[in-house]
Amino acid sequence: MKLLIVDDSSVVRRAIERDLESGEITEVDQAATGEDAVRLYGAKLHDVVTLDITMPGMDGLTCLDKIIEINPEARVLIISALRDKATAIDAIKRGASGFLCKPINPPELREAFKLLIED
Amino acid sequence: MNDRDIQVFIACVQRYFESLKRDVTVVIEPPFIKDEEKPFLEYTGIIGISGKAHGAVCFTANGVMLESILSFLKEAPIDRNLICDLVGEIANTLSGNAREEFGRDFLISVPIVSTGKNVGFKFPPDCRNYVIPIIWQGEKAYLLVCLS
Repeated sequence: MKLLIVDDSSVVRRAIERDLESGEITEVDQAATGEDAVRLYGAKLHDVVTLDITMPGMDGLTCLDKIIEINPEARVLIISALRDKATAIDAIKRGASGFLCKPINPPELREAFKLLIED
Repeated sequence: MNDRDIQVFIACVQRYFESLKRDVTVVIEPPFIKDEEKPFLEYTGIIGISGKAHGAVCFTANGVMLESILSFLKEAPIDRNLICDLVGEIANTLSGNAREEFGRDFLISVPIVSTGKNVGFKFPPDCRNYVIPIIWQGEKAYLLVCLS
């Protein structure tokens, strides 16, 4: 299983990678910008993408649109500090498979990831 | 800004530090207003706010506290770049979480990170500076809320 972690913070990217470490994941890519994420996703079509929203350059929701354009079945879990319901609903309408709020709760993240890959 | 708005940020601080380690208590001292000199510490993450409010939200801390947080997050080795990354991410998380109360029109920028007492950010002159003191693991940090 290929995982793509998108967040402008390297601390967050590594924390997500550590939290999701399991035998199921065979390959992990990281991107610090939306632009890099779209390029990487287009090349590798990762099984799961975790995606931040507030990033320099292309924001996460625009990045989500582009990933969904490439693959309407993409499994994208948004992990964002933006805790308002309107943003979460918008992300789901645009094709996200789930929405988690920062600060990251590792058991909650693992559970969301499990649900995503079982889907 | 009123007391209720400040309570929103206090709740965000509480949530953030509790997420690191539940058995380490975060102490939040009574907030105060400091309009003259902002109490910046060694590292400051600044989030510009626009839309429903204007100004900035800043998280400022010394390296010792930030290194402790990075250790809790199992980061090693720790360097200055990681510390800057973390202080920006904390500011982003606290500001973004405040949208739970303030809504989607409370627009937040990506973090700007500054080191030292002289922070190169143009704060709106018409805003009061609310300071929320935070004590965690014996180290002090501040959340500065400067909004109109």
